[in-house]
Amino acid sequence: MGLQVPSAHTLVTALVSGLLLGGLLAVTALGLSLVLGVMRLINLVHGELVVAGAYLGFVLLSKLGLDPLAGLLLVAPALALLAWPLQRLLLQPVLGAGPQGPLLVTFGLSVIAQNLFVLVFSADTRSLGRPYATAPLHLAGLEVPAIYAISFAVALLVVGGVHLLVRRTGAGREMRAAAEDPAAAAVLGVDVGRVHGRAYALAAACAGIGGVLVGLAFSFTPTTGTAYLLSGFAVVVLGGLGSVLGTLIGGIGLGVIESLGGAVFGDGYRDLVGLAVFLAFLALRPQGLLGRADR
Amino acid sequence: MSRAGHGAALEAPPRRSAARTGSAVALLAGALLLALATPVTGEYTQQVGFRMLEYAALGQAWNLLGGYGGLVSLGSAAFIGIGAYTTAELTNHGLPLLPGMIVSGAFAALFAALVSPALFRLRGLYFTIGTLALAEALRLFMVNYNGLGGNIGIFLTSAAPTTAGLYRLALGVAAAATGLVALLLRTRLSLALRAVRDDEDVARQLGLVSFRTKLLAFTLAAFLMGVVGGLQAGKLSQIEPYGSFGLQWTVDVVTVVLIGGLGTIGGPLLGAVFTVALAEWLNAYPSLHLAITGAIVIVVVRFAPRGLWGLLADGWARLRPERAPP
Repeated sequence: MGLQVPSAHTLVTALVSGLLLGGLLAVTALGLSLVLGVMRLINLVHGELVVAGAYLGFVLLSKLGLDPLAGLLLVAPALALLAWPLQRLLLQPVLGAGPQGPLLVTFGLSVIAQNLFVLVFSADTRSLGRPYATAPLHLAGLEVPAIYAISFAVALLVVGGVHLLVRRTGAGREMRAAAEDPAAAAVLGVDVGRVHGRAYALAAACAGIGGVLVGLAFSFTPTTGTAYLLSGFAVVVLGGLGSVLGTLIGGIGLGVIESLGGAVFGDGYRDLVGLAVFLAFLALRPQGLLGRADR
Repeated sequence: MSRAGHGAALEAPPRRSAARTGSAVALLAGALLLALATPVTGEYTQQVGFRMLEYAALGQAWNLLGGYGGLVSLGSAAFIGIGAYTTAELTNHGLPLLPGMIVSGAFAALFAALVSPALFRLRGLYFTIGTLALAEALRLFMVNYNGLGGNIGIFLTSAAPTTAGLYRLALGVAAAATGLVALLLRTRLSLALRAVRDDEDVARQLGLVSFRTKLLAFTLAAFLMGVVGGLQAGKLSQIEPYGSFGLQWTVDVVTVVLIGGLGTIGGPLLGAVFTVALAEWLNAYPSLHLAITGAIVIVVVRFAPRGLWGLLADGWARLRPERAPP
């Protein structure tokens, strides 16, 4: 662990790029937070939904020549359409029988998805390299990749949109009711199963958008999903469970921590610093995230 | 997995202790037969058998946590990796493999004990995430840290045992793991574990010390996993962090237990035989094999929560109705 003392300029650059990167982390975590909040389910296939979005963006770009940012408009609904039947047919039937059943179903789905990616796309490392993504952006004397700023803007749109959806629409009200007390919501005429299906589809759409951003900013392989599953949890823990806007704050928090960690300890330690902070945060909050987490 | 849980709980009453002794004798006889079979079986059979036995031992360890204790851990790779690295270092310093494996198990158990105060603050699903994060953090550390070979790993300088020797060692480990878990299930700990699994708060109110119960199960599982990690290192000439601490171990162990039968003593054995046999059958298509395994896991969780072992037990009960419990 070579400990360099970074210059002030390096630190400020790390701070700004971490902050911008936080937007990307927030989008990749948003779906996890929704499923956790509404369905009380740890969706172990979440990372693979992110990677599925990246591969879909890759196919649209390489086969149709569609720019990934425009492709977002196709990727998000496609992921929602893919995820909805998964929830209705595979998760819903085991949802009542304790927390382990659905957890293990998502575990099985994640194993299937990772290996389907290998079968269809091979294990090669891919990325959605676009000239505008890698171009440096000059911000007040600092230099950050333009995709960081682009993904931050997309993140603001996605997080803001989902926030309005959950807070201001009838479907969102049903979601909040089902999250708060599924039994009471059912008594009041909310079809909780259908609400769960919608929440899961929305979560997958967000994951897909996050995946395209990941593909633009970095590279990905069939097994990249695990890293985004874990960073997603870190974001949810830092930002507060079930809060849509909190996800953005958690994402920025994690982005800054990882970026500063990378600047101080070396780039290989970025993810490790993030995980260490995440674990410490988990351990210091005895009753899980909000004190009612374990049901 | 409350449905599986109830199934296991129904099995718990201390009936048919003669049948239990019988199955223990059968198990021992089977193990002895398998051990004596090495001269007639080929190298290939022994290699496949080695993997089945490794997974059987890992499955027993995981089942103690996940099946009986409801502690679904996704951190198995951490303990296997610690075991592999410890054995590699110890045998390189002249210690024979078997004592090296045992020390490795102790080392993994020590690590488990050290992290348990933090991990046990997390309940239910959060425990699962905590273990996954811990194992991934440890893997990333081992990849980046230069003290233990970094991402290249460690070369093992002592001569590896023969295939037959490794096979017999694995057989001993699997038999010991099965026997240990079976013995534990006859003690008060088993009831305490199941109580903690079904409702930790109620268990606590009833005066069961949930922390101590969980700690015992967690460190014992870690010990067994560390021993298997050491065994795996004994087979290899080089260990590196991607393989030893790889998530694939964790995934494989969970699938073995789920397919075999969560919360059953025979489940890990059946599951190990089934999954390794499936892998051999489809060995030309590793990704297809894993995708199929994932699909089998989903079908099992949905339709047969007690796995293959549960299906066998039900079939057996139907065939012999006169021996059904009153």
